[in-house]
Amino acid sequence: MIFGFLKSPPLSPRLHRLKNSALFSSLTALELQIVDGLMHERRYLSDEIVFDQGEEGQALYLITSGRVAISRSNGQQFDVVAELGPGSVFGDLALLDDSPRNAQARAMENCQLAVFFRADFLSLMETDAVIGYKISLALARLIGQRLRDWMSGSPQNEAL
Amino acid sequence: MHDAHADQHAGPVVWAGIIATTCLLLMLIERMLWLAIPFIFGTILYYILLAPMRRLIRLGVDQDLAALAVGGGFFAVLSLAVGVAYAWTSSPDDSWPRILGHYMDGGVTFVRNTMSMLEAEFPVLQKMRLTSIVNKNFKSFTDNFGQRHLAGILVATAAWLPSLLLAPFLTFFFLRDGVHFKKFLVRAVPNAFFERTLYLMHEVDQTARRYFQGLIKLTIIDTVFLALGLWLIGASSPLMLALISAVLAWVPFVGSVIGCILVVIVASTDAPGNPFIAYGAIGVFVAVRLLDDFIFMPLTLGRSLQIHPLMAVLMIFVGGSLAGVAGLMLVLPLLGVVMVTGTTLGRLITNPRLRARHRNAMALKVRQASAGLAS
Repeated sequence: MIFGFLKSPPLSPRLHRLKNSALFSSLTALELQIVDGLMHERRYLSDEIVFDQGEEGQALYLITSGRVAISRSNGQQFDVVAELGPGSVFGDLALLDDSPRNAQARAMENCQLAVFFRADFLSLMETDAVIGYKISLALARLIGQRLRDWMSGSPQNEAL
Repeated sequence: MHDAHADQHAGPVVWAGIIATTCLLLMLIERMLWLAIPFIFGTILYYILLAPMRRLIRLGVDQDLAALAVGGGFFAVLSLAVGVAYAWTSSPDDSWPRILGHYMDGGVTFVRNTMSMLEAEFPVLQKMRLTSIVNKNFKSFTDNFGQRHLAGILVATAAWLPSLLLAPFLTFFFLRDGVHFKKFLVRAVPNAFFERTLYLMHEVDQTARRYFQGLIKLTIIDTVFLALGLWLIGASSPLMLALISAVLAWVPFVGSVIGCILVVIVASTDAPGNPFIAYGAIGVFVAVRLLDDFIFMPLTLGRSLQIHPLMAVLMIFVGGSLAGVAGLMLVLPLLGVVMVTGTTLGRLITNPRLRARHRNAMALKVRQASAGLAS
């Protein structure tokens, strides 16, 4: 591996899953490996809450298997605003700041999530500007798309 | 559903727990000093070498190899620097005991001359027979030094050397397995507390990193200013003396005093005919310490740990009384880490929503595990 920098590492199924998400699609194999090294894997049971509305956001979630419902509180009850499947990301605004989550995320079935912690993202921006700018650009595009969807009145397919 | 508990400040119970835990850890450190000291050096080296290791990984170098390369590179450079310094400063007829004896004699002569000068200036000191008292104490100390202290110092050095060799090993494993260890710890945390625990671990890491990086910055600033001052008054080996004094200042109070004594001994021995160099060295030392306490330290270490100054001073005394020199040196970073851990854990444990979510997750687990079983 001394001359590992001369060749790109092969993409494992795990890295393929990362590559297929909108946020990490522009990263190279080596960059994906670095980001993957920072991500945590969590398993949630069906009906378990991933995060609550109003809770301080610290991390972004990428669904690697299973489905997650995103709901907003409407007075006494929750309205489901989106149902997300493998490859989708949610909680992405937590990468920008620690403002409260504006929706609740709940596992609809047993699912596996990859979690990207904000502090790891910020430290990556400092140590590796290229990966940082690629993820930031993808995040900006994601938010821009969401804004366009909202202005045109179409339903949001990804939750904040 | 807003998380109102996130903004709560730690109460007196949490603070009592923080102080008690810090004291307990200090007592533990005092008992396990053989491990604590290499652990500190290992941690300092880890924070120094982490950035170059990340650069190597970014170039595509394997994590194990990157850790080995930066660790090996650092120790190679260090060995080279020590070798060059040794070859540069020593002459064939100089041995360490001889040099030590030379400087000890120089220091004693300086004290005697100063006492005589003070007696000449202030007759009341002559009546007190100050010089005679000081001479008697010096004689008693030097006569019994070999018998009372030398054997102890040699045995302690022999016992300490192997444990200090642990530091590079610890650094290597911190660099190689640090991320895996963090993930391993986080895996044990229930989902409900997961995000907050990540935040807590990040804050603990940041507190330790800020403290140790602040300490390194402070050492460099102290070395530069002290070396400049000593060079201006004409003291010999200003850079070497300044560096040793700056490293000694890592130990609050005691380190500074020992550093000052060292500088004065060297200055007075190398210029025996000119006591004003030694007095000037004291002046430079005091000036740099004042700059350090009021400007450099608040800019470096002060920003790293948000501890109330009164609490910091009191805890330094507590650290000294509980764990001696190691306690003095370690009490502030330890208090900083325990403070972050205590306040965050306090918020986690007292958050009813997180506890309820955890109970719910446990109930879901039981329900799934017992599905299809007869009740």
